[in-house]
Amino acid sequence: MAGLVDLSVKIGSLVIKNPVTAASGTAGYGEDLAGFTGLSRFGAIFTKGLSLEPRRGNRGNRILETPSGMLNSIGLENVGLKKFIDEKLPFLLKDGAVVIPNIAGHSEEENVELSRILSCTEGVSAIELNVSCPNVKEGGIAFGTDLKIFTSLLEKTRKAASCPLIVKLSPNVTDISLFAVRAGEIGADAVSAVNTFLGMKIDIKSRKPHFINKVAGLSGPAIRPLAVRAVFKIYEKVNIPIIGIGGIASLEDMIEFLMAGSSAVSIGTMNLVDPWCAEKLIDGLEKYMAEEKFGKISDITGLAHGM
Amino acid sequence: MESAELLEKPEKVSTDHFLLKILLKGREPVPGQFINIRIGRETDPLLRRPFSVFDWSDNRASIIIRIAGRGTSLLSELSPGPIDVIGPFGKGFTLAENKDVLLVGGGVGNAPLFFLARMLKERKCRITYVYGHRSKGHMFLTDVYRDLCHEFIPVTDDGSEGTRGYAGDIAGGIKRPGDYSHVYACGPHEMMKKTALAFSMKSRVEVSIERYFGCGTGLCSGCTIECADGLKRVCKDGPVFPGDNILWDRMV
Ligand SMILES: Cc1cc2nc3c(=O)[nH]c(=O)nc-3n(C[C@H](O)[C@H](O)[C@H](O)COP(=O)(O)OP(=O)(O)OC[C@H]3O[C@@H](n4cnc5c(N)ncnc54)[C@H](O)[C@@H]3O)c2cc1C
Ligand SMILES: Cc1cc2nc3c(=O)[nH]c(=O)nc-3n(C[C@H](O)[C@H](O)[C@H](O)COP(=O)(O)O)c2cc1C
Ligand code: FES
Repeated sequence: MAGLVDLSVKIGSLVIKNPVTAASGTAGYGEDLAGFTGLSRFGAIFTKGLSLEPRRGNRGNRILETPSGMLNSIGLENVGLKKFIDEKLPFLLKDGAVVIPNIAGHSEEENVELSRILSCTEGVSAIELNVSCPNVKEGGIAFGTDLKIFTSLLEKTRKAASCPLIVKLSPNVTDISLFAVRAGEIGADAVSAVNTFLGMKIDIKSRKPHFINKVAGLSGPAIRPLAVRAVFKIYEKVNIPIIGIGGIASLEDMIEFLMAGSSAVSIGTMNLVDPWCAEKLIDGLEKYMAEEKFGKISDITGLAHGM
Repeated sequence: MESAELLEKPEKVSTDHFLLKILLKGREPVPGQFINIRIGRETDPLLRRPFSVFDWSDNRASIIIRIAGRGTSLLSELSPGPIDVIGPFGKGFTLAENKDVLLVGGGVGNAPLFFLARMLKERKCRITYVYGHRSKGHMFLTDVYRDLCHEFIPVTDDGSEGTRGYAGDIAGGIKRPGDYSHVYACGPHEMMKKTALAFSMKSRVEVSIERYFGCGTGLCSGCTIECADGLKRVCKDGPVFPGDNILWDRMV
């Protein structure tokens, strides 16, 4: 039975063996996930957003549960490029992971430098550019929310990156498909949709925002319908693969994303709740495809668009 | 994946506190480690909730929960049967042997110190225990604590039992720093800070730090604190830390 379905997915020149990946920031650098689900089972592991130098992240509250979701204000705490390459990457590769570093620089130059170095580092299969970071030089506006700033960053990153480039889109825009179209035009190999939605919590006792940064990123099942719509909308406009992300918790959720137009998916918040989640989805998908007589993932991708 | 079972209806042990007994096959915990419970069957409540091991013997873990919000209320009303628990996780206390030791607990922070006291007693330690809580009504299972101790000092905020005051101040006041090789504390921030500052010069102080956990498994960096020797994840590198490694003023 198993031999009849082909779970593999192509992202540019990269072929991943199944469409279930771990979303950036919810799998660390693989070390702590490996104790639950072997890293080689995942289609790919997107590691925590990287900067050139280590980052301490935000002070104060970092996490808050919301109805079927969570707000986070981690502030891109990460080990920095050098430690990633020297210590984290070797572990990931030893465990058989397909590694896609998430790049989270705070300036064009930093993102270009990260892309250049990582894309020619042995063992890096692709890079994912996180455009939800603030551009410090432009007064802190996120790269991914202004089409002009986005375009400029992407053109430079595309030139610098010699490996497949995935652009992780911000949903905090009026029309996400405009950004996806632009990414396609500039030569991105795929888009990831979506990153967290901006949200807020006011502590009514202190009468102040709960997070020092005031806003935080909302993720988890609470955002799923919003994310499905984003994927659906992008699929109408672009031809490059879409990696669907947002509150996936079950096989049904994942299939919904595929039918909306995703070629692959990432599991984020649910890794935190159930570190076996992705493994169950991979097994479930294979069974589902055999039962429903789907031979390959592309048979499901975009089905909801009818015709 | 471990399968766990709530063995009995949660038992109320004091105002707002319940004792849960859970059949949990797998690794044997050390005192100070926690288990991580998923309360919602679907996605609400979503995140797991961490609870320190109150006691353990052959695959039976018990925990004390204090009603803090929705998750803990739901837990206190659970019926016996399957329960989604993972763990034990984290770094626990180091166990002294044949030493004079001081334990300082505040509120539900006394929970992990029971398991600790039991293990220390097995290792022939002489235990002085400062047990702090809000009031007599909030104190749980004091008799079983008292039985393990050489000296048991109850403290309440309102004086309804034992000395009136805060455990941190009372412990600090005992201050014969050289008397204890090890000092262990779990409870409110201020209490642990006072205890650590009073004893770190002469004793090995260990504190159990509490943070809001996103995962409890080291994946999310939600629980990071700044220590003297760099960033640490409470769920992975802790929850127990050497008291002199904590930068108390950076924590709040
Ligand atoms: C390592 C560790 C061990 C713990 N051991 C115990 C224990 O033995 N017994 C016990 O009763 N409690 C323990 N706690 C605290 C317990 O996890 C929280 O009280 C619980 O998660 C609250 O869940 P809730 O749904 O009832 O509260 P919510 O409705 O989620 O929140 C209510 C209040 O609790 C606070 N809170 C929520 N989650 C946490 C958290 N993870 N840490 C601290 N505060 C939180 C919130 O800020 C809020 O003020 C421990 C926490 C940690 C980190
Ligand atoms: C704790 C946490 C940390 C995250 N860190 C990153 C990050 O470093 N880079 C990034 O592109 N996305 C990050 N994300 C966003 C996720 O990768 C994902 O896009 C988002 O959470 C939506 O998916 P989910 O609902 O399945 O979690 C983070 C999310 C969470 C919850
Ligand atoms: S709570 Fe997620 S890393 Fe500690």
